Amino acid sequence: MNESVRHKNWDYALTVITVALLGSLGVQSFIGTLYVWWATDTVPGFELIGYSRFVWWMNVIAAPQVVALVVVMGLCVPKRLFDRTLLVAVSGAMLLAGLGAWAFTGSLATGLAVYLALAALIQAAVVVLTVAGARGPSYLTEGRLVKTGSGLLHQGFIGFAFVVVALQRSAFMLPAFWIATALTLVGTLLAFYADRFAFRKRVRVEADRSFAEE
Amino acid sequence: MNPAAIQAELAQLVNTLAAIGAPLQVLMPAVAVVLVALVAVPAWRPLLRAGIGVSAALLLAGELVLVWFHWRLYDLSVVVSPDTGAVTGRVAVPLWVESEKLYVWALALALMAVFIHRHRDELLPGVAVILAVLMVGAALWGKPFTEPLPSFLSQYLGYLQAMASGDPERMFGAYQGMESARQFYYNTVYMWVHPPALFFAYATFAISFVATLVMVRERHSAFETTAYRWARLGYLPLTAGMLLGFPWAIIAWQGESWWWSGKVNMSIMMWLLYTALLHARLYLRRRGMWKWVAALSILAFLVLLLTYLATYIVPGAHSYL
Repeated sequence: MNESVRHKNWDYALTVITVALLGSLGVQSFIGTLYVWWATDTVPGFELIGYSRFVWWMNVIAAPQVVALVVVMGLCVPKRLFDRTLLVAVSGAMLLAGLGAWAFTGSLATGLAVYLALAALIQAAVVVLTVAGARGPSYLTEGRLVKTGSGLLHQGFIGFAFVVVALQRSAFMLPAFWIATALTLVGTLLAFYADRFAFRKRVRVEADRSFAEE
Repeated sequence: MNPAAIQAELAQLVNTLAAIGAPLQVLMPAVAVVLVALVAVPAWRPLLRAGIGVSAALLLAGELVLVWFHWRLYDLSVVVSPDTGAVTGRVAVPLWVESEKLYVWALALALMAVFIHRHRDELLPGVAVILAVLMVGAALWGKPFTEPLPSFLSQYLGYLQAMASGDPERMFGAYQGMESARQFYYNTVYMWVHPPALFFAYATFAISFVATLVMVRERHSAFETTAYRWARLGYLPLTAGMLLGFPWAIIAWQGESWWWSGKVNMSIMMWLLYTALLHARLYLRRRGMWKWVAALSILAFLVLLLTYLATYIVPGAHSYL
């Protein structure tokens, strides 16, 4: 199997895992909503006592999924920069740093924050290299503006996750939030509508095809 | 401040709105029935575009009436501190709350439907049916002209009555409630940005949903491209609207467990599904992938509908129960 095919399979696997985790969190949200709807009418005193217990359980169930999502997002970031062997090493080092911070401080939030900060640094490098037109970063999409958009919006999401995990009670919460929001929105705009902004249009039009045989 | 005079003027304003808007409110279900008939009878289909144009014009006319109503309401709804007698501000009730939510969604969809260009003939029947449902819902359930803004008017009239009572404790309690609603809800930038961004997104997702159904029927990638174009148009305001809700929620719902409340849950789920959809379609070239993309698109829209309804069904922060 050549490097390009392996890279695409790796990309595909990460995308499937991302979609599965997003779907799983979605299912949890849905079941949680149904439970609150049912419990409010049937469990005596639910709103006074039961609701805080429900929130605790939702956090417990969501935490490993969110951690997995953050880890996958962390893997998606260096995948653009490093070959597979180095990628595993970098990802492992990031995980170890996060786990180390968790073990050292006893706070899962700090561990996640360290992990996200490292992911943000690598993503910043990816964005800079992409803007500079370096050949290193690999993307599923084509065109420098689209790639820059994709890089920026992922940087924005990492930033937002960092705000939620580490900065909710900090004076830096709002500035960091606005920066993350701006990165996400500008990135989404570029990723979706790069052809409208490009000076040199290089749009690859994919041929329409029938799904009847699939 | 003269509470009795304001109350009388408010009553007159509400009556005028009902007099102007009631015919529109009757016309909306009638036009909806015509739209469904135009879809159901193949020979009438060529008139469907005109039917949607009429619907858009009708809804736009109604919206202009509502803008006027809100403008006059802003003039009247003065909030005065019982301590100092000074005016602390006026209530700027946004044009997309309470009785007007379905109306705004219907208006956004109707205006977009007028500008559908790619695959117009295939999309318009489905879009017309959704528009008809929204118009009937807006007229019969929302009643924006005959029963406008029930929560706001009830609270504001209660505040006026308290101010007229002369009872200091009652006056102060009503003032605190009204002033915090003014500062942290009605007049916040958030309330003027978050809901319209979401209703814009909801309208684009409705068209994307119809394009997905056409893709399933026709089994052709061209319709997936159309569905994707409408979905990406909605994803940006959806993301912006939800992100902008975060700092507001931290302040407005301080001390409340809002993160897992029903509406927030469902909204996150909807966003996750549309994010998953936009990721999944990157692999559309893979054999059979279109079925997953179609399933995600349909599921995401069903969850969108549940998200809208959650506000009225599931208790918690962001609930109207």
